[in-house]
Amino acid sequence: MRIGIVYDIVRWEERALINAVKKLGYDLVLIHILKKPLWLTEPNGIETLDIVFQRCVSFYRALTSTAVFEEHGVLVVNNYNVIRDCEDKLYTTLKLVKNNIPVPRTAISFTRESCLEVAEKIGFPLVIKPIYGSWGRMISRALDKDSMLEILEFREYMQSPYLKIHYLQEYIDKPNRDIRAFYFWGEVPAAIYRISSSWKTNTALGASVQEARLNEELVELIVKAGEVMGGGLLGIDILESRDGKYYVSEVNAIPEFRNTVRVTGKDLASMMIEKTVQHFKK
Amino acid sequence: MKKLECPICGGEVEIPDDALPGELFEHEECGSQLELEVDDNGKYRLKEAEEISEDWGE
Repeated sequence: MRIGIVYDIVRWEERALINAVKKLGYDLVLIHILKKPLWLTEPNGIETLDIVFQRCVSFYRALTSTAVFEEHGVLVVNNYNVIRDCEDKLYTTLKLVKNNIPVPRTAISFTRESCLEVAEKIGFPLVIKPIYGSWGRMISRALDKDSMLEILEFREYMQSPYLKIHYLQEYIDKPNRDIRAFYFWGEVPAAIYRISSSWKTNTALGASVQEARLNEELVELIVKAGEVMGGGLLGIDILESRDGKYYVSEVNAIPEFRNTVRVTGKDLASMMIEKTVQHFKK
Repeated sequence: MKKLECPICGGEVEIPDDALPGELFEHEECGSQLELEVDDNGKYRLKEAEEISEDWGE
């Protein structure tokens, strides 16, 4: 079996996946996306690969290179639709809601006036996010009407049109932590609590981590959410409310797993490769 | 280990022999984030790592 890993920079995760492919005895082909052009009108020399793992840290590089590879007949994990739908918080929420997966109450608004209307219905605090983005970047919490208007003003002066799509979400008062669970082809191999005194619990922002033991209800929810988003290899973020309810917050299509490996001792990179190979052998 | 020059401070940076193009290194002496690149002749060099972009993440 010939396995490709497509990447732009090599993080701890890409190094772990490279080592795992070698350890498992598969032929490895590294595709450094920044080094060579990707031809749309002719083959790129990777068409004979059995599976390509998409690991670009840049969303647009990941999405566009996946499009090229898939249209040339290459099997890419995660696939184009999964990467697109997970990156877009609007689309993620819509898909989850449509399939009866609990999410915080959410709306999008294009103007201050309609943001105020949402705030009247949801109340404060209120979370305001860009529809694209990761690592907790540009996510704000409006504590009251004044702070919401200040946040919106900042966003309105920014150039990117997508920052003017205001994704407004009910704030879930969680117990200083959230859950990052991994979904690999229908299974939940590991999960962690991301613990922080800040309301943002991204490890990219310094949250500490601890292994999480999931109950049956949570595992079922994670599997269902993973399947709704198209399956594959996903990092699923869950919020717990203080009254014991669970909400799916975000789904990540090119998940980082260094901290999870550190506290669980599980070889997630090997599992990602093996589960994927098994899935496509069926 | 390969020894390469830091493009920021000119100091020496040690890189493992199996390092890959695109791999990130921190030069402890000057604190720079560096990225390994390999030219068409197979020659290794370090450049300042790309800054985190708006679309980077998981």
